[in-house]
Amino acid sequence: MKQAVRQPDLVTDVAEVLITEEQIQAKVAELGRRLSADYAGQRLTLVSVLKGSLPFMADLMRAIEVPVQIDLMEVSSYGGAATETSGLVRILKDLSSSIAGEDVLIVEDIIDTGLTLNYLLRYLRGKNPRSLRICALLDKPARRLVEIPIDYLGFTIPDQFVVGYGLDYAEYYRNLPFIGVLKPEVYERA
Amino acid sequence: MVDKPRFAHASEAELARILDYYEVSWQYEPRTFPILWNLDGTVVESFSPDFYLPEMDLYVELTTLRQSLVRRKNRKLRRLRELYPDVRAKLFYGKDFKALMLKYGRFDLAASLSGLEGQTAKATTLARAAGASPVPPSPPVAAAPGDGGSAGSGAAPAKPARAQRKRPSRGTRRRRGRRGYVSGAESR
Repeated sequence: MKQAVRQPDLVTDVAEVLITEEQIQAKVAELGRRLSADYAGQRLTLVSVLKGSLPFMADLMRAIEVPVQIDLMEVSSYGGAATETSGLVRILKDLSSSIAGEDVLIVEDIIDTGLTLNYLLRYLRGKNPRSLRICALLDKPARRLVEIPIDYLGFTIPDQFVVGYGLDYAEYYRNLPFIGVLKPEVYERA
Repeated sequence: MVDKPRFAHASEAELARILDYYEVSWQYEPRTFPILWNLDGTVVESFSPDFYLPEMDLYVELTTLRQSLVRRKNRKLRRLRELYPDVRAKLFYGKDFKALMLKYGRFDLAASLSGLEGQTAKATTLARAAGASPVPPSPPVAAAPGDGGSAGSGAAPAKPARAQRKRPSRGTRRRRGRRGYVSGAESR
């Protein structure tokens, strides 16, 4: 359900910068080094979940020094009974190639409730990868319903409404280069 | 498969739909935990978390934004953790649920979670007997999930069937009645 929001203001709608562009890039470089060491001598398939993890994926893949393949997935997001006919998650875009026997790393922007990732883990395990791990830029544990083992984590963040670096509110703010806290009045106007 | 439960609040029905959507199995109020006894061993207060997620072995209690209910539920959760340390339970605050609704584009429901449309409390306060004891007269043994709430030996009485359950008379309940919200999908 897309909401009719007022024109977003990328400057004034952000209450504070939670994680700067420099901090993100430093963390991405660190994660890249760890992944390069852990997968040394192997090849790796990165699976990004659209749309929020695109910037993270783009930066992370360039920080990894072992051969990588990339693939993209998109799953339907819960939109309430009024907008869903099946009542179940749908794969809007599946993997382009087989991951059977491959070392796979799911690249996620943020883990919140864990519901989407839990579903994806089950789905991808069914495709028989050699290994399946998770790399998340952000972990927001306050609302966790499903415990997810995060193998590589960037930052643990407090329970705040964050946008930027791929994260959106009503599909906007994804192009901010930092992670910012959205002013409550922006979404409380909804 | 079980019958669709009648939820006490729209947010509970919505969470049930979300869990169904992501294929996470759940049970609605499957277990009642006695948390306060009087001196003769009668249970005077108990706690029935809204949801049990068997795959996660996690109980989830939803709150609305009404602060008085949040305080009461926080207290109950603390008691639950003291008395049943092996039970994993989580309070899902109204602000968290509101944020979740915003994330999923449910702006209508998020806006309705003002707290005025409050959740009817599930405190099963059977009596406010004088001398209520915070210590159970015998080790608390609560009913296992899915067994209908039958209690173990000692002080914990069996949870009556929903239709027979005596609930405290509450002003809000009298004014509004128990609103029934039925999930659009069945529990698995």
